[in-house]
Amino acid sequence: MSLTENLKRVVGQAFEIDAERASTEQVEFPLMPLGTPCDMGHDDNGVPLIDPRIFGSREFQRNPYPYYHIMQDHYPVFHDKLNNSYFVTRYADINDAYFDGLGFNTIPKGSSNHVLGNTQLELSGIEHSRRRNLYGRHLVGSALTKRFGAICKMANDMIDAWFDPASGMSEFEPSTGKYVIELGRAFANEFPIRVVCQVLGFPDEAQDRFFYWYKNMMGGIGGRDFEQKGLMARQDLEDFVGEIVEQRRTSPQYLLDDNGNQVAPDIISELCQTVIDGDYLSTEEITSNIALIVGGGGETTRGAILNMWYLLLQHPDQMAAVLADDALWDAAFHETLRHSSSIGGQPRHNTFDIEMHGIKIPAGSLMHMVDWAANHDPRVFTDPEKFDIFRNDLYTEKIVRAGYRKEGKCNHMAFGVGPHLCPGAWISHQEASIGSNIMSKRVKNVRIVEERMPKDIDGVSLAPIGLGAINELWLEFEKA
Amino acid sequence: MTYSSDNENDTLASERGDDEAGYRSYEVFQRERVGAPPPVKPGQMRTQDYLDDPYSLLAKLRAYGPAWRDWPGNCFWVTHYNDVTSVLTDSANFAVRSKRWHYHLTDFGRDLRNQVPVLTAQAKGIDDNARPAAEELLGAIAKNGAADLVADFAAPYPLVVLGRTIGIPDADLPQFADRYLRMQRGWRWHPTNQDAGKRAMRELVDYFTPLLDSRRAQPQDDWLSAVATLEIDGPPTNARDVVATLLEGDHETLHGALANMWMLLLTHPEQLESVRGERRLVKYAYLETVRHSTPVISADRFARREVERFGLLIPEGALVICSAGAANRDEHIFNDPDDFIVGRKDLVQREPRGQYRADGLPSGITPALGTPSKYPALPVGRPRSLYAIARDTATTASQTLLEMLPKIKLASGASPTMKCKAWGEMHACWQLPVTF
Repeated sequence: MSLTENLKRVVGQAFEIDAERASTEQVEFPLMPLGTPCDMGHDDNGVPLIDPRIFGSREFQRNPYPYYHIMQDHYPVFHDKLNNSYFVTRYADINDAYFDGLGFNTIPKGSSNHVLGNTQLELSGIEHSRRRNLYGRHLVGSALTKRFGAICKMANDMIDAWFDPASGMSEFEPSTGKYVIELGRAFANEFPIRVVCQVLGFPDEAQDRFFYWYKNMMGGIGGRDFEQKGLMARQDLEDFVGEIVEQRRTSPQYLLDDNGNQVAPDIISELCQTVIDGDYLSTEEITSNIALIVGGGGETTRGAILNMWYLLLQHPDQMAAVLADDALWDAAFHETLRHSSSIGGQPRHNTFDIEMHGIKIPAGSLMHMVDWAANHDPRVFTDPEKFDIFRNDLYTEKIVRAGYRKEGKCNHMAFGVGPHLCPGAWISHQEASIGSNIMSKRVKNVRIVEERMPKDIDGVSLAPIGLGAINELWLEFEKA
Repeated sequence: MTYSSDNENDTLASERGDDEAGYRSYEVFQRERVGAPPPVKPGQMRTQDYLDDPYSLLAKLRAYGPAWRDWPGNCFWVTHYNDVTSVLTDSANFAVRSKRWHYHLTDFGRDLRNQVPVLTAQAKGIDDNARPAAEELLGAIAKNGAADLVADFAAPYPLVVLGRTIGIPDADLPQFADRYLRMQRGWRWHPTNQDAGKRAMRELVDYFTPLLDSRRAQPQDDWLSAVATLEIDGPPTNARDVVATLLEGDHETLHGALANMWMLLLTHPEQLESVRGERRLVKYAYLETVRHSTPVISADRFARREVERFGLLIPEGALVICSAGAANRDEHIFNDPDDFIVGRKDLVQREPRGQYRADGLPSGITPALGTPSKYPALPVGRPRSLYAIARDTATTASQTLLEMLPKIKLASGASPTMKCKAWGEMHACWQLPVTF
């Protein structure tokens, strides 16, 4: 063959791209057995390659951890050039970044604040702590303990409805005495909303719109297809809250106990009275804070309750242990969040040009701190994919902002650590473990209605939780 | 998307000693109000819709406003002519990141593209080889009576010119082309391509090491000898410098512009007739092609610092995609922007860098050749700009084609189209069946 023929052949081959490689759109990745990654190619040294399109795939959604382990082992900082961002997956790196508020800032790049408003999510340093402390103190410690009775009462009220045929919450089979409920619809969807409404001091009619608000606002974050819906929900919330704020500025409202005594002011009333830099908070600032509580207060706790019951019921020995000892609900809650948390991580931007694990990262880059991966980092948690409430490397005591990494125990990352630790961590813990504890006292012989639950690829075993929370959980039980 | 020859753009802020980089404690807050939804879906600019037909999506973005933020892609799209030129020329605020940075090989070799002896050898090599290479490739198909003008001419042509300019023996040319093209494709997002590209770079280093030594011992009249004998600070040039320089360079404009130009001419027979009648119009056909259908359709810039532009706060480090394709069809700048009109009166015909408005006229933007040269069109002591060299080479090749295949016309029944084969790669015609 002549030179030109040879050259034409080479050039023609070089420009041939099979469709799979050309498209940035979702390609089908094979569904693998849990714990096994699919093959995305290897480099000369046998190191597996990571195709960034995997992150949006169904396979990753249900079976993410083998891919996170590849990243932790070979790409501790993975540069996703398709989406112009970096993924950090090792526990130690994420821990360091969360505590380094100067080097890894959250200042507004707009990923959430265009929907939620000017919240402390995207502030750093003094601005952050000042805003966060405005309402954060109402969600911790004695402020929270005061609300304990009201939370228990709400849980009991909701569970009462299960045994009331008129409510339509459950299906009752008289011949066997068994009830069937969908835990989300009957309890977990509503319960966190009711608690947050009470803490905020929203009127009861707000509960119906609450679901609309948080669903759309959380969906609108990050500019996905639902951004527009998020903006509309935010506007609706703003209109609603605006009126309440005007009322509460003159007449604060209080949570009352059974005897009619004032227990604590609600958060809106408190914010209305708050003076910062010699001035009252504007309605816009108050609305933004409330938008954040609304957005964060619903979905996350719902997921924790559903996941906790799903995992416990698949491990009957652990379920039995928890039923025998109320104190174990804390361990069950924390192990659930370690194993399968609703929230996957937090974005950060590096303030300075840095080099991490040999990768030079220019200032201002978007870095995803993947809590899901940190919680399954085998450098910290042995056998991380195993659900074990008795594991001795997980810290399950009181949640602390400083994190806990002593005596071979580490906190899980579901709430983050450091200055941006989830301010709702404590109240979420209360809701999930108290709510579940109360529930466990009212029912017995609980089992998952497997026929109604989605299955894994083998068509037999229950579907794994994967990333986030399960959508619904069908339970069968008898009245205790 | 290509990168400039301006080395200072590649440095990170810490290396620049930029004391402005640092922690910002004041707050900036922009909340979007509910308004009309954006005309394209988030992420849509990277889907097959865009690869197949970028111009209709770009028209929507241009009508939407000066900039659009794509959240899933973590980038801003800039689409108006004046905005695109302002970002491309604003190296104080917007940095280029080299292909070596994309490869995570920032310490790999030195980019020698701004060294005058190298530039001079490059210009001479390209000018000397432009016509013989075209004659050789066209001679091979002239007797067939039919050909695919892209596969047989536009695609291999730049590589023949490049290889002979460098001084690669003809026998090695196919192998070099294979490695070179793998290297040029690999810096983008796809992991397999990136792996293949890195391997190609290693192979090229191994290939150039003995070749460079022989040129140092016995200089010849080619680009490689100019690199071998280059006097430069630091250690003498080595094969890694050669590969880094080749990587940061580019062949796409010549390839894509030739393919697009001939597709446009053949599908606009009246324009082809006018070019046949008046050969000086070939150059204008190239310029109009670069405006109408630039092969390198967008360029990436990264904000060096937080800047407020286009009514948006663009954070430090943000990716700004400057869409030359959208800017070149800006109806505020060009009359009938979607029409292909050789010799149009509202396009500058002199030093068309997009950024300069010589004659008060705008020009087609092709970002492939980087930020504007700070030298005049005919600089003293330096060859003319790479833009002018590419333009002249395409013109020479096309004039040769007209001479050797005077009866060229589109094969009957053919309806060629342009598309991007992959996200980030050039927008060009890939199949152009012709008879002559």
